[in-house]
Amino acid sequence: MTTTAAGSLTDRYVAATLSQLPGRQRADIERELRTSIADAIEVRVTSGMEPAEAETAVLTDLGDPARLAAQYADRPLYLIGPALFVDYLRLLRILLVTVVPAVTAGMAIVRMLQGDTARAVIGATVDTGITTAVHIVCWTTLAFALVDRVFHQRRPAGWRPAQWTPAALPELPSRRMRHAELISVTVALVLFTSLILMSPRLGIQETSDGQPIGVLTPWLWDTGVVYAFIAAVVASLGFAYAKHYLRWSLPLGMTGALVNLAAPTMLIWLALTDRVLNPAFVAAAGWASAVPKWINAALVIISVTTVLHTVGEAVRLARRR
Amino acid sequence: MPDAELVSTHLQELRRGTVVLACLLILQKPNYGYALLELLNQRGFTVDANTLYPLLRRLEKQGLLTSDWNTEESRPRKFYRTSGDGLDLAAILTHDWDTLNDAFHSLKEES
Repeated sequence: MTTTAAGSLTDRYVAATLSQLPGRQRADIERELRTSIADAIEVRVTSGMEPAEAETAVLTDLGDPARLAAQYADRPLYLIGPALFVDYLRLLRILLVTVVPAVTAGMAIVRMLQGDTARAVIGATVDTGITTAVHIVCWTTLAFALVDRVFHQRRPAGWRPAQWTPAALPELPSRRMRHAELISVTVALVLFTSLILMSPRLGIQETSDGQPIGVLTPWLWDTGVVYAFIAAVVASLGFAYAKHYLRWSLPLGMTGALVNLAAPTMLIWLALTDRVLNPAFVAAAGWASAVPKWINAALVIISVTTVLHTVGEAVRLARRR
Repeated sequence: MPDAELVSTHLQELRRGTVVLACLLILQKPNYGYALLELLNQRGFTVDANTLYPLLRRLEKQGLLTSDWNTEESRPRKFYRTSGDGLDLAAILTHDWDTLNDAFHSLKEES
C-alpha cells in the first residue's frame, strides 16, 4: 500500500536531495529518508487519506530538497556569515574607493598620452572603472565565501575573527575640521583645474593679430600631458574623500600615498625639463630670461615639499597603528 | 497585544535548542526518526521533519547519540540512542534550564 512506484514523487525527491550530498553519506541518508517518508505516508493513509495525496502532503512538509540537503550536509544557507560579514564589507569598501579611482586614472593617463580623443578617453575610463569594480566585488565575495565555508566546516585551533579593539575607532574631533578642509581642497582644485584648462584662451598677452597667447606651453596640450596631470590631481582628491569617509588602513594609506605622489612628481619632471611656461608668452611679456628659471625652481621646491609631506604623513599614520 | 508574527519570531528564538535537550532525554530509550517526530510533537516540542532528521545526524556526528540499523521489520529503521556524552550534556542543559526557570520566577516575584 505504501510502496512507491519507480519514478514516483518520492524517488524524485530522494534523488534531488541525495544529488547535493557527499557520496559517502548518500546510502545511509537514502535508507533513512525513504523509511521516514514511507512512515509518514503510512500514518496519513491509515487515517483515510488517498496515497497520492498523502505522498504530496508529506513531501510538501519536508520542503525544498536543496534546503534539506544543506541541512544534512551542515552547509550554511548564506554566502558570508555574520563572523566575516563586517570585515568583508570593510575590505570591499576600501578596495572600491582606492583601486577603482587609481585604475581609471591610470587608464585615462595612458589613453591621453596615446593622443586619443576626449570621447574615446571617457569611454575607456568608464569601461575600465565598471570592469574593475565588478572584478573587485566578484573576487572579494568569492574569497570570503570560500573562507566562510572552510571555517564553517573545521575551525583551526585558536582561530577567531579579527579582534576589534576600541583603538580602531575613527577619530571624532578632527572630523568636522577635516570636512572643512575637504571642501576647501575641492574648491581650490576646481579653480586650479579650470584655470589650467582655460589658460590658452586667457588674453593676458596677445599676438599682433589679437590671438591670446597661453601662459603654459602648448606642448602640454599637444601631448595630452596636461590631462594626465589633471587626472592625477583629481585622483588625489578622490583619495582625500576616501580618507575622510573610511577608517585608515594600510592598503588605503599606501594607495593614497602613491596617488598623492603622482601630481607633484609629474610637476617636478615638467619643471626640470622646462615644459611649463610658454616661451612665446615669456617673450611677449618681455620677462628677463632668468624669470622662467626661477618659476621652474619654485615649482620644483613646492613639489618636493609636497612629496616629502605626503611620505612623512603616510609613515606617521602607519606608525600610529 | 504584539503582532502575531512578532510573537512567533520570539517564541522560535526562545525555543531554539530545546529540541536538542528533548531528543537527548527521550532517546534514553532508542527510537527512530518518524516515531521520534510524532513523540516530540505530542509532547509539545514543535519541530519539523526537515529540521529533526538532519539534527539527529548532527548529534550523532557530535557523539551525543549512537545509532543502530534495525532490519528486522518491514522497513529498515535507524534507531538512535543517547550516548554517555549525550547524557552528560542533557544533565548540564537541564541544570541550566532549571537555573533559568528559577531566575525568571524570582524576576516575576520581584516585579
